[in-house]
Amino acid sequence: MRHRNILWFASVLSILLILPLITDDAFFLRIITEAFMWIGLAMAWDVLAGYTGYLNFGHGVFFGIGAYTTAILMMRSEWSFPFALPAAGVVAGIVALFAGLPTLRLKGAYFAIATWALSRAVQQVALVLEITGGPDGMRLPPFLNPKFFYMLMLGIVTATFLLFWFLMERASFGLKVRAIREDESGAMALGLNPTKIKIQAFILSAVPTGILGGMYAYWITFIDPASVLGDLVTDQAVVMAVFGGLGTLFGPIIGAILIFLFKTYFWAYLADYQVLYLIILGLLIALSVVFMPNGLWGTLTGYIGARQALRKGLAVNPQAENETEKGDKTHE
Amino acid sequence: MSDPILRIDSVTKAFGGLHAVDDVSFEIYPGEIIGLIGPNGAGKTTMFNIVSGYYAPTHGRIFFKGENISGKPPYKLAERGIGRTFQVVKPFPGLTVLENVIIASFCRYPQREKATAHAWKILELSGLADRANVSASSLTLAGRKRLEIGKALALEPELLLLDEVVAGLNPTEADQTIELILKLRDQGITILIVEHIMRVIMSISDRVVVLNFGRKIAAGKPEQVAKDPQVVQAYLGGEA
Ligand SMILES: Nc1ncnc2c1ncn2[C@@H]1O[C@H](COP(=O)(O)OP(=O)(O)OP(=O)(O)O)[C@@H](O)[C@H]1O
Ligand SMILES: [Mg+2]
Repeated sequence: MRHRNILWFASVLSILLILPLITDDAFFLRIITEAFMWIGLAMAWDVLAGYTGYLNFGHGVFFGIGAYTTAILMMRSEWSFPFALPAAGVVAGIVALFAGLPTLRLKGAYFAIATWALSRAVQQVALVLEITGGPDGMRLPPFLNPKFFYMLMLGIVTATFLLFWFLMERASFGLKVRAIREDESGAMALGLNPTKIKIQAFILSAVPTGILGGMYAYWITFIDPASVLGDLVTDQAVVMAVFGGLGTLFGPIIGAILIFLFKTYFWAYLADYQVLYLIILGLLIALSVVFMPNGLWGTLTGYIGARQALRKGLAVNPQAENETEKGDKTHE
Repeated sequence: MSDPILRIDSVTKAFGGLHAVDDVSFEIYPGEIIGLIGPNGAGKTTMFNIVSGYYAPTHGRIFFKGENISGKPPYKLAERGIGRTFQVVKPFPGLTVLENVIIASFCRYPQREKATAHAWKILELSGLADRANVSASSLTLAGRKRLEIGKALALEPELLLLDEVVAGLNPTEADQTIELILKLRDQGITILIVEHIMRVIMSISDRVVVLNFGRKIAAGKPEQVAKDPQVVQAYLGGEA
């Protein structure tokens, strides 16, 4: 069983590593590179949403902060890319720490709203600051090597995958966050500190997202508040993870691949109807939540963690989590 | 006598105007089983929530092994050695029985392998080993109550608070649970137990504390307390 998984992983990775050796098609490599990026974003969102039960509707803020960190360090402070890229992760992690302390005390839907509001606020700030270039955005020195970006993106996303696999499926951390998702107040009686665990999960979700943002800035060479701090980054990551299956390693990957393929075809052939794409995205998430709450992967494997995550993540009753003792009593 | 493991010193817990626990004091000594009884709404569960850190007392203090623990959060108290069960059982429903207990085992065994090994021992002890890999939500009520005890035990507590772990079980299951409780006492765990079934409380408790409308109305050996006119009155007069 374990060996079969390793074999699978090694085969897929080998194929992906060989791919740029056998093709020079820049468009094709670019599409695959972007697919890697979305896999990374969807997986990272799922750490907090699916595993921990907090739906972050401002996830894109970490992507944008990462993009701007790398861009500002390279353009304004003349850092080289190998240093400016990890810095994107560090800054995203620090922001998560400070954003998480007040917001992760909120329940379910209130957390979702607060994180969304935060992302709007950061976008506004980026629009008015001078260092970010305001609405004009920032242009980075072009480094036109599709294979370099392909390999680096593959490396970052593979490293993220392995880290998540270890922490969420092998180490103690994965069970602790699930305990928080299932019953935060009950978990406290077992020695778990929910605030600490939630902050850790938030940071774990933010750091790879920031790095992917930094990577995006250098790759695309142009960023502005609309492209890297807009709603679309969050929206797509959310739909991918929910559709694929929350709280699992493979759900967001499958969701990301399918939705990204759909998006690519849609934009290639129906570029004039981008609004329609957003409508379809919205419908897809609504239908998934209602008819397939465990997502594709959960439905196939029978894993119900996704439903638990949605129940907690969408709870509007601020008391729901605090009910230690009410409910059906069992004595005569 | 040795020092008390738990000392409850004039503890009051008010919810708005309601004094759910009202100026209650008592002590528990190492190795004892103390029964906490009283009619519905007497404040027993509230007392558990105070001792386990879920509520800070409005007045008064709680000492665990001589140290003031009032207002400390539940996870700190779990680490210090206070384990509790919940009257309304709280399994992690989407996880397996084994995973439920592993999570509790992290408190003493932070590494996953060691925690898993420890969890298996706890499942053997609490009679759940054959259901280790089923989802916790699929357990019967008896199983879920067993799991509550198992999770608290996985913390290797010195003081164990059991809130109605026998109620709702059939006689065979009840006897098994009582047997388990006595075994734990023999292992040196001090136990504070809430139970409505008098047969159970009277037979296993070394001493009994009786609450009514949040106040302590009696305390002592089970046979003395059973004869106490105030206690008789509370049970007959109350709406229990
Ligand atoms: N969180 C709360 N907010 C307001 N009132 C509460 C709260 N918890 C308990 N109470 C009230 O405090 C009183 C004591 O309740 P508690 O649950 O401690 O009783 P109990 O002795 O455990 O009863 P039972 O035998 O029915 O379990 C009750 O009147 C109850 O309604
Ligand atoms: Mg009660």
